[in-house]
Amino acid sequence: MNKIKLILDKLIQLFCISLMVLMTVLVSWQVFTRYIFNKPSAMTEQLSQYLFVWLVLYGAAYVFGQRDHMKIVFVKEKLPFKFEIMADIIQEILITIFTLGIMVYGGQLSTMKQMGQLDASLQIPIGVVYSAIPISGIFIIFYALCNIRELYFIKYKKSKLGEDKLWT
Amino acid sequence: SGKKSDEPKSKLLKLAFNQSENHPQYKALKEFGEALEKETNGEYTLEISPNALLGDQRAATELVQNGVIQMAVVANPVVENFNKDFAVIGLPYIYDNLEHQKEVFISGALDDLFGSVKGSGFEVLGAFTAGSRNIYTNKPVEKPADLSGYKIRVMQSDTMKKMVDYMGGVGTPMAQSEVYTAVQQGVLEGGENNEVTYVDLKHYEIAPYFSYTNHLMVPDLIIMNNSTYDEMSDENKVILKNLIKETINKEFIAWNENVEAAKKIAKENGATFVDVSIKPFQERVKPLQQSVIDSSENSKILYDAIRDLSK
Amino acid sequence: MDLAVQTGMIMFTSLPILLLIGVPISISIGFSSALSMLMVLPLDGAMVTSAQRLFIGTNSFSLLAIPFFILAGNIMNRGGIAIRLINCSKLIGRRLPGSLAQSNIVANMLFGAISGSGVAAAAAVGGTIAPLQEAEGYKPEFSSAVNIASAPTGMLIPPSNTLIVYSTVAGSVSISALFIAGYIPGILWGLGVMVIAAIMAKKENYISTEKTTLAQNIRTILDAIPSLLLIVIVIGGILKGVFTATEGSAIAVVYCLMLSLIYKEIKLKDLPKILMCSAEMTSIVIFMIGVSSMMSWVMAFTNIPQKISILLLGITDNRIIILLIMNLLMLIIGTFMDPTPAVLIFTPIFLPIAENFGMNPIQFGIMIVFNLCIGTITPPVGPILFTGCKVGGISIERVFKRLLPFYVVTTLILLLVTFFPALSIALPKMFGLIK
Ligand code: NA
Ligand code: NA
Repeated sequence: MNKIKLILDKLIQLFCISLMVLMTVLVSWQVFTRYIFNKPSAMTEQLSQYLFVWLVLYGAAYVFGQRDHMKIVFVKEKLPFKFEIMADIIQEILITIFTLGIMVYGGQLSTMKQMGQLDASLQIPIGVVYSAIPISGIFIIFYALCNIRELYFIKYKKSKLGEDKLWT
Repeated sequence: SGKKSDEPKSKLLKLAFNQSENHPQYKALKEFGEALEKETNGEYTLEISPNALLGDQRAATELVQNGVIQMAVVANPVVENFNKDFAVIGLPYIYDNLEHQKEVFISGALDDLFGSVKGSGFEVLGAFTAGSRNIYTNKPVEKPADLSGYKIRVMQSDTMKKMVDYMGGVGTPMAQSEVYTAVQQGVLEGGENNEVTYVDLKHYEIAPYFSYTNHLMVPDLIIMNNSTYDEMSDENKVILKNLIKETINKEFIAWNENVEAAKKIAKENGATFVDVSIKPFQERVKPLQQSVIDSSENSKILYDAIRDLSK
Repeated sequence: MDLAVQTGMIMFTSLPILLLIGVPISISIGFSSALSMLMVLPLDGAMVTSAQRLFIGTNSFSLLAIPFFILAGNIMNRGGIAIRLINCSKLIGRRLPGSLAQSNIVANMLFGAISGSGVAAAAAVGGTIAPLQEAEGYKPEFSSAVNIASAPTGMLIPPSNTLIVYSTVAGSVSISALFIAGYIPGILWGLGVMVIAAIMAKKENYISTEKTTLAQNIRTILDAIPSLLLIVIVIGGILKGVFTATEGSAIAVVYCLMLSLIYKEIKLKDLPKILMCSAEMTSIVIFMIGVSSMMSWVMAFTNIPQKISILLLGITDNRIIILLIMNLLMLIIGTFMDPTPAVLIFTPIFLPIAENFGMNPIQFGIMIVFNLCIGTITPPVGPILFTGCKVGGISIERVFKRLLPFYVVTTLILLLVTFFPALSIALPKMFGLIK
């Protein structure tokens, strides 16, 4: 499981880095074609917008793997260690339920419906863009399961926690 | 009559609308809702959610498809994504004027087209006018050459961009919320829209010449969720059909009144409305028209049917 | 019971519980929204609508500016731009008592002005200037408090990611106009902090001993000019119509990258790390924005904002009291919530009320962001406070006492911003961005 996680991490990193570069190039190019050549492009704006949505969804999945999403910890930290770990595991379970219901189930239904609809400027099915919701959802669930495993078997069993970040 | 809406049987129809309460379509829809409630003896009530509160038009269409809401008013290009043939009723220069367009909407010539998207989860009940779209910028536009090098904002669609390119300008897709500042600062030279939106967005302040190129009369479509429609009794379906027809009529009247009011405001604020000979522009966009007409047999039939209704 | 009240109750009881047990803010918002959505919709409808909102909430060209400003900020942080700005601001602040602290304030304003992030400013500037202050005998609680109190100016002085978020929830509010509107309140904030810092420094007798020659000064200025040019390029480009605010952010990335490569402080092999770090920060913020759009949708669907505003207006119809109540609520919210989710949740509720009283949405945007800026430096949840303590190597308790006078002065400026519309809308009017 750890090995798969590391591979997935690397893949998402590569994907997100490429998207960041591509977006910067596309938007700069858009200014260039319009301002210098007076030939605005119909697709750069829409395309960079869709790439951005992908970046956010896959990037967010990666961050779930790192347990690095913003949270309020000042109450949880006051709890005894045992309950703190329990709260952490509950979090991961809630993340799994949310993702399973909304991103995987709802996202998949939505994606299927949008396969028949074409984007006006890119001429690709909008469902293709939407597909990032259920796919990144599956990644998030995988990460959440990894986290539960680690929280329970490693942190809880060892019962000694290193320094947790105050603001994560 | 008593307060029937409290009866448990009453079905609430939520309608998503992306314009404000002052829009002529809102006024027409409001009257429609009242009449529907009355004529179905309170079986149906209508709640309009204006200002795109439930999402933009594409989102609203999805909500109707999924039965989350029951109705929406959306622009023709949104439905075009489900069936390409809809492009015909939004073609440049396909209608001669508002009277012609009204004739087409009321005649029943579009019934087959409207029925064609049933499989996607919604019915098209009818079409509203959104007037004619015209180019506005910092000078009168009387011939295609006047647009040379002029970046004109269009909706985010490839067809719209090509259309302005054919007309002699540079079609530039951009989100509407950015347009005012973009024109003012010279990212764009102007936009294209109807008089009502031109005035609503105060674009007369930044682009005071409104030239009647009349290039587009894109309909807005009233859509309803499939199951909501199918569950209606035959009697109520007839009521609905008649009311929609009546509402379309009223909307055309309300539209004309609003255009006059809008023009008055714009003129008071220094805008100039320029009459233009549309012939050269019409010639220029022919290839675009032809490519849509040639795209399918249905398109051709539809095009001929619409042109036949012209006087 | 009214369906809206029920839905609202589910939302407003489940949300704080989830937040307090430490569930990520995004999931807390999403979970409680989905629960309340299930009150009014069947399962499939609720799930599909939620997924759709998640997509639509992130699918906006204006939001695209955020990854670019984050990336530009990270490049500046690493690329030697921050230190050049600090050197330059030392020239401006050095005649005042506590000169190094004054330089810290000016540098935070400059750095924040181009990076759009208060946290980045607190880390980059505070981290660089803290050792210098220690060497001159400044107490760490003093220097850290000044760094923390001045860092939020970057969220008001353009560009500002928080203002971009506001403009997308507020509807058709021009980002360019908001950006220009942030200048005066942001600078007022900075000046307020400078005055308090000067009074404190005088009391503790921090007088500068450093002397520089004219030639050195000129060199410092020349050295900082390419970095300062970024402000001219981005804001000038937006005002001159070369590009929109969103496009300007991408241009900022390209410019910072070129500059850092010229300075040779960033090598090409460092880039993947910087890019990934920016991608992560972007995802955290924007995912939260996407999920929050579920919440605003449920509220619109069940007419909750109208109910709240009726409730609020039922208390009084006095404009001044209502505005004070709103400010108080937002200050409280700001203590435990980050600016982005707070803007997302409270704009749809408060903006209609404020507009009802004839407040311009530009002014309201500045007011709400100003409020939440104060929140970023208050415990228990204050990202700038935490960052400042971290780089200053000091505990929150020790800094907090020193921060009290800064809270007072910024709250006073907030009242000015609330009751004098001209402070926010005079500049955009002057530039013709609004009527
Ligand atoms: Na800034
Ligand atoms: Na706080």
